[in-house]
Amino acid sequence: MSSSKKSSDGKSSEIEEAVASLTMPFNKILLTSSDGESFEIDEAVARKFQIIAHMIEDDCAGKAIPIDNVTGDILSKIIEYAKKHVVEPDEDEDEEAKKKLDSWDAKFVEKLDLETIFKIILAANYLNFEGLLGFASQTVADYIKDKTPEEVREIFNIENDFTPEEEEAIRKENAWTFNG
Amino acid sequence: MPKYKNLLLTSKRRKSKFKKQKLHQHEPESLFPEKEVEEEDEDEGGFKLKIAAPSQEHGVQPLGNLYFNPGSVNVRNTGLGNLQILSDELVLDILGLLGATHLGILATVTKSFYIFANHEPLWRNLVLEVLKGEFLFNGSWKSTYVAAYHPKFQFSGDSESNLKIIDFYSDYLFQSWLCANLEMKPKWLRRDNITRVRGISVEEFITKFEEPNKPVLLEGCLDGWPAIEKWSRDYLIKVVGDVEFAVGPVEMKLEKYFRYSDGAREERPLYLFDPKFAEKVPVLDSEYDVPVYFREDLFGVLGNERPDYRWIIIGPAGSGSSFHIDPNSTSAWNAVITGSKKWVLFPPDVVPPGVHPSPDGAEVACPVSIIEWFMNFYDDTKNWEKKPIECICKAGEVMFVPNGWWHLVINLEESIAITQNYASRSNLLNVLEFLKKPNAKELVSGTTDRENLHDKFKKAIEGAYPGTIQELEKKAEEAKRAEEQRVSFWDSAKADAFKFSF
Repeated sequence: MSSSKKSSDGKSSEIEEAVASLTMPFNKILLTSSDGESFEIDEAVARKFQIIAHMIEDDCAGKAIPIDNVTGDILSKIIEYAKKHVVEPDEDEDEEAKKKLDSWDAKFVEKLDLETIFKIILAANYLNFEGLLGFASQTVADYIKDKTPEEVREIFNIENDFTPEEEEAIRKENAWTFNG
Repeated sequence: MPKYKNLLLTSKRRKSKFKKQKLHQHEPESLFPEKEVEEEDEDEGGFKLKIAAPSQEHGVQPLGNLYFNPGSVNVRNTGLGNLQILSDELVLDILGLLGATHLGILATVTKSFYIFANHEPLWRNLVLEVLKGEFLFNGSWKSTYVAAYHPKFQFSGDSESNLKIIDFYSDYLFQSWLCANLEMKPKWLRRDNITRVRGISVEEFITKFEEPNKPVLLEGCLDGWPAIEKWSRDYLIKVVGDVEFAVGPVEMKLEKYFRYSDGAREERPLYLFDPKFAEKVPVLDSEYDVPVYFREDLFGVLGNERPDYRWIIIGPAGSGSSFHIDPNSTSAWNAVITGSKKWVLFPPDVVPPGVHPSPDGAEVACPVSIIEWFMNFYDDTKNWEKKPIECICKAGEVMFVPNGWWHLVINLEESIAITQNYASRSNLLNVLEFLKKPNAKELVSGTTDRENLHDKFKKAIEGAYPGTIQELEKKAEEAKRAEEQRVSFWDSAKADAFKFSF
């Protein structure tokens, strides 16, 4: 995966893209992030992003595609995940491979802070990358599970905005959660 | 069981344009608008909300209001913290992965979480997943769930005791509430341009409507049906007893379904739609008859292996089907036994506004709900030359839906109906063509042996009606050649005309 920072001059980046289109190998696609980072990836990897897959099918993908909504740091993480998941192992047929991939997924997400995960969710949604969207959303859900309200506030950096009376009313309303 | 829910398909994305709604505040003191919600280009009254709709579900307001309150803070964002960068749909997708207890706990975190965690569709999914068709609807999906699992817990009544939250602005959630509580506007019901006929012969029906593929509303053909006299709620409950009918993803007893349909206030109410009603309750089969125009039913040659072809349909006001084309390229008839239905139809080559079929035809569905379609797209057709066909079909009347036509149906009141899909000589070639398609095996509904349906059907037809397919193909060829010749005649006539002008 080659990554190059574009110059701040927009015109020359267009030229760079055009040159890339002419000189790139047949089955590679070049993605450019909103802040100018370029990523050359295999077509098979690019196809994990449905919006790109559709562009390829409709033949309107030049070989260089700007991804205006996603910054380079997030796009690089998404591509990293996509490469690992180009072929999804069948749970029944290849348990070993599935386990290995799951453990890679867990390590992948362990290193990321919540804010990054949210940005990944937004980007995966934009790119229409179903697998990563589901995985990232499940990760956030897992963070929330089994946390007390105070812990949830801490994780998301929120202040309690209920008045004491409101809080009392809400707790009453949801008292069934505390009785198991 | 997939590890992660298919989030991109489970929640309905509001890709549709959304007119900025503004609630007018009639009383300066009250922060909550009256029941009337006005729209700028309204030509009569305001929206009509369903009776007894609480004026605001927990106080969700559309984003437009925020812009009219400068300096106001959106409690949605402050209450979500870092999570606020996600859209409402993405937040709900995450909450959709949680169980009931976790949702209940989340509701106590902040006002924002309170509103998100109480979003009814989340609780509907939990109820249907866990309780299936056994649920006893208890006014809301959340209280249905809680009542089932924590029977000792007393819900302190309805919306009066729910917390009223101000300063929460969200278009998605407001629209969701609005669509759940809106009634059909009179102006959406006014246009009625379908052809109505009564007492025509079968030949006339075939030549005037079935062959040219035109919709029509038929009156008077249900006069002999015992169902018309007998089928009421009470009668059906008596005669169906404990047999369960298909309702969306679950099966339910009738009494439980009616308990739900009486209390539900939803954007997409659960609809009772059972393809095996006649097999499950044979007496129902005996109380209706296929109208004389539709007796040619070629899939009958497959006997028990035929795809689903007949349904009983029961649903409350507001239930229905958003835009779709019937599968297998079949035609259909729909008979209203009690109640009334509003129909909107577009011909096969005209995609309704707001509908995005996938290129291979695999997805012939409309992403928006019925009410949302009326709110956001109905008016688009006002200035079209070719207007859609619209009508209200009342008890005792039968709609003919020609094959390939887009159609949308909404019940204007609680309705009981029967519908059947069929293939006759008029559309047999289309059906075979459809079944030949490479993705047909996914699209074919209601059959266990999807792959061979085309071959099976074709063989069975040739067995029962030898030579029919060839005959129809010959006729189609001749018609096509005649059309081509006609065209070339006019082309050459034009050419001659040019010559003469020199």
